[in-house]
Amino acid sequence: MSKAARRILGPELGTVPGGLEELTEKELSGFADMLQVAKREQSEQLEAAVDEALEIVPRLLRRTIRKILFG
Amino acid sequence: MNGYLSPEVEVLKLARLVGADAEELAYFERLEGQAIRDLRDQVTVAMFDADRQMLQRVAAATKLIPAKLAAVIGERAFGALLCARITGLLDPGRAVDIAKHLPVTFLADLSVHLDPRRASRVIGEMPPDVVSAITAELAASEEYITMGRFVGHLSKAALLAALDAVDDESLLRTAYVIEAKKNISALVALLPDERLEDVIATASSADLWIEALDVLAHVTERQRGTLGDLAAAQDDEVLDSMVRAALRDGLWSEVLPVVRAMSPESRKRFATLKSIQARRVLATIIDAAAEDSLWAELLVLLPLLPTVARRQVAALSTSFDREVFEQIFVSAYEEELWPALIGFAAELDKGPRREMAKLIDQSDDEVLESLLTDVHDNGRETDLVAVLRELSAAGQRRLGKRIATASAELVEALTEAADEADLETLSKALTK
Repeated sequence: MSKAARRILGPELGTVPGGLEELTEKELSGFADMLQVAKREQSEQLEAAVDEALEIVPRLLRRTIRKILFG
Repeated sequence: MNGYLSPEVEVLKLARLVGADAEELAYFERLEGQAIRDLRDQVTVAMFDADRQMLQRVAAATKLIPAKLAAVIGERAFGALLCARITGLLDPGRAVDIAKHLPVTFLADLSVHLDPRRASRVIGEMPPDVVSAITAELAASEEYITMGRFVGHLSKAALLAALDAVDDESLLRTAYVIEAKKNISALVALLPDERLEDVIATASSADLWIEALDVLAHVTERQRGTLGDLAAAQDDEVLDSMVRAALRDGLWSEVLPVVRAMSPESRKRFATLKSIQARRVLATIIDAAAEDSLWAELLVLLPLLPTVARRQVAALSTSFDREVFEQIFVSAYEEELWPALIGFAAELDKGPRREMAKLIDQSDDEVLESLLTDVHDNGRETDLVAVLRELSAAGQRRLGKRIATASAELVEALTEAADEADLETLSKALTK
C-alpha cells in the first residue's frame, strides 16, 4: 500500500485500502479534504435534523426522545 | 470482462458518496475499478462511523413514535441522505411500515443514497408494489447505478415487479452497472423468452451491444447459448448491428463465446452473415482470438464460414508464430476440436501447415491418439494427410510408424488417404 495514501487518507478513513499508488499527493490531499467536508456537513445536517425533529415530535414524547438522543 | 468493474462507473458512485461531481474525481479513473470500489467501501464506513452514535440513537427514538409520524419527520427534518444512513439501523418491519407513509419520490431519492449492504434485510422485506413504484421513479431519472446496486438484495417477487417496471433499454443499462455480477444469471432466469427477444432487439436498435454483451459475459453457458440463439433467430440487421459494434468497439472477445454457446444452426447463420465475411472483420476476429486465447471459439466458427472467408482466415494466419500454433493445437486437444483444427490446417499455406504437421509429429501418444480417433470418427483423413504431407520424409516415417499401432480400421483409412495423395513414404510407414 502507498505510504502517502496511508498518511494522507488515514486520518479520515482509518483503514486505507490498497491500489491507490497511482494518485499523486495533491490528488490524495484533495480527496481527503473533500471527505472531511462531507463528514462535517453530514454531522451538521444531522444535528439540525434532530433539532427540527424534536419540534415536530408531540410535546408529550419530547422529553423521552430527548433523553434517548442526548442521554 | 468477467468481474470487470468500470472505473468510470465506480468514480460516479464514489463521487455521489462524498457529495462531489464525478468530474472533480476524474483522476480516480486512472485506477483499477476494484481499487475505487475498495476505497468507496471504506468511505461508506467512515461516513457512517462519523455519526454512528447519533444515528443509532435516532433509530432507537424512532421506535417510540408512530410510523406515520416517523415518515413525516424523516421527510421534513432528516431528508433522504440521513434517512438512508438510518435505514439499516431500523428493524426491517418498522422500516417497511415507515416507507409505506413516504412519497415514492422521496423513497427513490433515499435509495440513491442507501448502501444496500447495510440495509439488505430492509430491502428484502420491501413489498413488490413499493419496489415497483420506486423502480419506475429511478428509471425515469436514469438512476441505473442505483437500481443496479439493489439487485441481489430484493426478494424474487420484488425483483419481478421491478423488471416489469422498467423498459428494455433501462434494463440493459442497469444490468451493465450491476454491482454483484453473479446475480445477472438469476436476473436473466426470471425473464421469459419473449422479453429476452425484446431486450436483444433493443440492444440492436438502441446500439447497446456493449451493455448486452456484458450481460452475456456474466450468465451461465446455457443461458449464453439460449440468448445467442434468440439473437440468431432475429432479422439479419440484429446480428449485423452486433458485428458492427464488435468491430467498432473491439467486442469480439465478448461475441465469440456467445457464438460458441449457440446451437449449431444459429452458429451457421452467424458464420454465413455477409457482414463478417469482410477481410478487416475477419482480421479483428483473429486478433481478438489471439489476444484472449479464444482459439476454441474460433475453431467452432471456422468450418462454418464460406470457403472464401475460410481462405481469408488461412491467409491471415500465415503471420502466426510457432507459439500461436501451439496454443491452437492445445486448445483443439483440450476442447476436442480436432476435426475443425485439421480442416483449418489443411487450408493453410505451406509454411504454417508445416508448423502444424510438426506439432502433430511431436505430440505425445495420448494427444496423438485423441487426434487420430476424432479425425477418423469425422472422416477427415484426407485433410490430415494434406497436413502431414509437409513433414520431411523422416518425419513421415517416424509418425507413420507411431500411427501404425492404432486400430486397423483407422490405419487402413489413413493409408488409403495417403495413397490417394501419392504420399508413398507415409503409406509405407503405416503399413509396415
